[in-house]
Amino acid sequence: MKKQTAFSSKEQRQIVVRLFSYLKPHKKAVSFALFLLLLTVIGDVLGPYIIKVFLDDHLAVGNFDLQPIILLAVSYFVIQVLNVIISYLQLVKFQEIALKIIQQLRIDVFKKIHQLGMRYFDDTPAGTIVSRATNDTEAIKDLFVSVLSTFVQAAFLIVGIYVAMFLLNPMLALFTLILLPLIFLVVYLYRKYSSVVYMTMREKLSQLNAKLAESLSGMGIIQAFRQEKRFNEEFDEINHEHYIAMMNNTKLNSILLRPVIDLIYFTAIVILLTYFGITSFETAIEVGTVYAFITYINRFFEPVNNVMERLAIYQQAIVAGSRVFTLLDEEENEPKQGESNELITEGLIEFKNVTFSYDGKTNVLKNISFTVKPGETVALVGHTGSGKSSIINLLMRFYEFKQGDIFIDGVSIKSYRKDELRRKIGLVLQDPFLFYGTIESNIKLFNDELTDQDVVDAAKFVQADTFIEQLPNAYNQRVTERGSTFSSGQRQLVAFARTIATNPKILVLDEATASIDTETEVAIQSSLEKMRKGRTTIAIAHRLSTIQDAEQILVLHQGEIIEKGTHQELLAQQGLYHKMYLLQNGIVQ
Amino acid sequence: MKVFLKLGWFFKERKKEYLFGLTMLALVAILNLIPPKVIGYVIDEIGSRELTSGSLAKWVGLIIVVAILAYILRYYWRLMIFGSSNYLAKNLREKLFRHFSKMSPSFYQQRRVGDLMAHATNDISAVQQTAGGGVLTLFDSVTTGGFVILAMAITIDWRLTLIALIPMPLMAISTSYYGKLLHLKFRDAQAAFSDLNDKTQESISGIKVIKTFGQQREDTEDFTRLSNDVVEKNMKVAKIDSLFDPTISLIIGFSFMLSLGFGAKFIHEGIMSIGDLVAFNTYLGLLVWPMLAFGMLFNIMERGSASYDRIEQLLSVPVEIDDKEQAIDVKPNGDIVFSVNDFKFPGEEASALYNVHFELKQGQTLGIVGKTGSGKTSILKLLLREFEGFDGIIKFGNYSIDEYKKIKLREAIGYVPQDHFLFSASVYENIAFINPKTDKETVERVAKLAHIHDDILRFSDGYDTVVGERGVSLSGGQKQRISIARALMMQPELLILDDSLSAVDAKTEESILKSLKEAREDSTTIITSHRLSAIEHAHLIIVMHEGTIVEKGTHDELMELQGRYYEMYQLQQLEQLVEKGGGVS
Repeated sequence: MKKQTAFSSKEQRQIVVRLFSYLKPHKKAVSFALFLLLLTVIGDVLGPYIIKVFLDDHLAVGNFDLQPIILLAVSYFVIQVLNVIISYLQLVKFQEIALKIIQQLRIDVFKKIHQLGMRYFDDTPAGTIVSRATNDTEAIKDLFVSVLSTFVQAAFLIVGIYVAMFLLNPMLALFTLILLPLIFLVVYLYRKYSSVVYMTMREKLSQLNAKLAESLSGMGIIQAFRQEKRFNEEFDEINHEHYIAMMNNTKLNSILLRPVIDLIYFTAIVILLTYFGITSFETAIEVGTVYAFITYINRFFEPVNNVMERLAIYQQAIVAGSRVFTLLDEEENEPKQGESNELITEGLIEFKNVTFSYDGKTNVLKNISFTVKPGETVALVGHTGSGKSSIINLLMRFYEFKQGDIFIDGVSIKSYRKDELRRKIGLVLQDPFLFYGTIESNIKLFNDELTDQDVVDAAKFVQADTFIEQLPNAYNQRVTERGSTFSSGQRQLVAFARTIATNPKILVLDEATASIDTETEVAIQSSLEKMRKGRTTIAIAHRLSTIQDAEQILVLHQGEIIEKGTHQELLAQQGLYHKMYLLQNGIVQ
Repeated sequence: MKVFLKLGWFFKERKKEYLFGLTMLALVAILNLIPPKVIGYVIDEIGSRELTSGSLAKWVGLIIVVAILAYILRYYWRLMIFGSSNYLAKNLREKLFRHFSKMSPSFYQQRRVGDLMAHATNDISAVQQTAGGGVLTLFDSVTTGGFVILAMAITIDWRLTLIALIPMPLMAISTSYYGKLLHLKFRDAQAAFSDLNDKTQESISGIKVIKTFGQQREDTEDFTRLSNDVVEKNMKVAKIDSLFDPTISLIIGFSFMLSLGFGAKFIHEGIMSIGDLVAFNTYLGLLVWPMLAFGMLFNIMERGSASYDRIEQLLSVPVEIDDKEQAIDVKPNGDIVFSVNDFKFPGEEASALYNVHFELKQGQTLGIVGKTGSGKTSILKLLLREFEGFDGIIKFGNYSIDEYKKIKLREAIGYVPQDHFLFSASVYENIAFINPKTDKETVERVAKLAHIHDDILRFSDGYDTVVGERGVSLSGGQKQRISIARALMMQPELLILDDSLSAVDAKTEESILKSLKEAREDSTTIITSHRLSAIEHAHLIIVMHEGTIVEKGTHDELMELQGRYYEMYQLQQLEQLVEKGGGVS
């Protein structure tokens, strides 16, 4: 895991600006919400003013004319009620905007995930990618929901209060302006230190959780190897580091959050009292004005406290935002496809001098050339790490290659449009993956062109119909948890049906290796044979017996084709293939 | 409130911190009473033009002293109370981890790692909040609330106090009610969020299929649909969540109006001064937080209590399989006698094993074959003492396996499980798992035995390459071979390979078996496998079917028997024989 370092303020600003660019489509809604906010601020500022008038014009001078007092009371009441209604609407509106923005961000992330190349998935654990789309965007949501409305509300309210104070007493208002730099200083200091402290705490927490998750998953191994003590100690160490980080965070919050804001509040009160006190030595002071100022100052600190409390969320959102944007900016995209309108009609495949490496250091394929004629089957044989899967990975365009080229019907694979390749090349994976849904939805996937009959036909074709029809709900049987309720053979058959339903021109098969019982195996083999008819097929074979009728067998070893020919030819060569064959047949020389 | 009782042991343990912290909290509450009073006095003195520079300095000085004292006290009570709650989190986490590491496999079979994680994270943080924020809220709302009300009633006017307080209980009631509603809606929102999470997880796991079928757009549409649901459910939360602030300001507004109206009346009647009224209103402002806190308190406590119960429950799961009182502190060694008449997994009706009897001499190899679910792995689980409660006896050397200390039994057995789990550490650390300080020579020797050495050298950083969840991805075969090397590090008396060569090709399989045979001449080995080639040379082969042994013997004996083993062997040969017509030498 990369170490998370604190962001410079420039980086923070860039992230915030980019996050806020998501507000653009919601301009109208945002303006409306801001307008409502403005109304509530006006209400907040007017309230104390009405009371001031009441104190000065009526109470202090003993003027108790009913009519103006009732007028004051009613307007105070109406303002209060209106204020409550408007601020509710405003709050809901801000939440709605935030939720929509986050949805957009999520969809962007999800789209991006689908554009990434396989290489990215090799290097990044699935859990991390899922977090980007869900948890991190959730953290950003808080920025838009609370932080945005709190920060903006605070700004509006503070401005409103200052306006009111300036109208009441410009001189005193000027004195209280000193509060602003004080508050900004605290915010600055807090952000400066908290970004480090907070980040450390998050980092320790994620280390702690990673350690815990891993230990839980591997507990069987830990116990079998009697490493409980070591793991306990390792866990304690991280747990303690996390505790220290939490304590530092608590200390920082105690020094710089609420307590210091209260200190500033008292400073403000001291300024007010001193000013009014000193002025009162010379001229009479209206008591209502003192009251209004005190109320305004009390009010002033509500949004400040709110903002301070949410600074941590802000920090978290910045971190989450940077992670999300790193993913969105990821350049490990899937290989680019051309715009050519060429169609694959024959299914002639040619590999020409293809050399390929995953990491840019070791070549896993070295100068591979071979041709598969339309309708023929080529089998790839070799032990683990020989390069069989890499050939398929390139043909499927999961990875980009730089040296050599692959042609289909004489046209470079790179120039076909993506959908043409996807439509004409069908891949059956070693580990058939079933999605949450039904058997039918798993065969159809999201292809709306397929009718229910097509689904049934495809299942029949691959002989999956027998087991499907025995299920209580047949094609509507629910598939949960990646199909774990089905045997691997049954999953394999569904995967076959899924592939055959799209009627591909070229078939790529990665033969399942382990744990398929003999009965299903027979069904699978005969389905495979049917599927291969009339289609160009490239198959990885672990069991040599399954590919003996292949037109061509390529024997791979450390990324090179070291033997090629038909089954008989290869046996006659008495080379590696011959040896593998003898071994699999249990014939001891 | 019960949750505070449950946490009593902790409060006792941290008595000093809590007493100290709460005392300071109370002092702050008292200090807070001073400024409003001072403001009231100053206003009255201004009004009557009695204020002198001397008295002004006195009042202002008082506020400054209060401010500084309050700052210091606030810092320390936070440190004491929140610090203690941090400590509680650490403490509970440690306890849980200790407990987890004692739990037997059946515990993990019944629970998902994700759920256990949730207890260790969400539940602990809910309890932490109770011990920190909860304690603070309870104590602070009672003291501040109480002191403020007393100050209002005693130093200003008790009638006005009663009148102004009328709307206040509404605040506690409504916030607590909203809290409950919110909780329900929040659960729906969480469920929608978790669906979205699952969807993303699935799409990433199935990314190859989606790419192959070119379904990126459709999959994104499906994701959009789910994310709409998230928005919808969250809007419901928002609509309740947004009620809090307006309701509070409405109620406070009422309170203010009442105090102003009646206050004005009292002033008119000469019962109190304008300064008193201003002080009174400032006190009212101080009451907002305790009232609000009281509403929140119930939710914090409810959540903390439920979470604490879950943690307790988890901690109280007994260690299922423990050492006997006079367990033998010797590493088992010698012949193995497996004699089980009947065994059922806990909570299951059908027998997993019945009438399974075999003996294995020290240094021999046992092969177990049979279909999935025939009982192969159950035999191994009993041998490893992962489960107990069977009818029969399993002896390792001179004693039954439950006579040995668990740790000694484990020391004797090197187990390579089906699911080859590697840790997020270097290849080196994974192989030298038993002792990370093992020298390089030994590590390389076992890596060679497991035929993974050459593969490792081809990795980008050789033995230092990080593997596991957060490392490079290895092929199934490579993982299996690393787990074999890891088990070989122990030089175990008994090596168990539980279908551990399934992802390895035939050629490698044979080489591994050959080198194992050479290196472990006097040690016992048990191999289960789908592929007969892996167990062909075993001294004893047992064929399992539906929980019992149907055939037993050497390869040759079983072939001669012409039974199930013979059939399996023929089946694996059949396909090859069919095409032998081609004429192989």
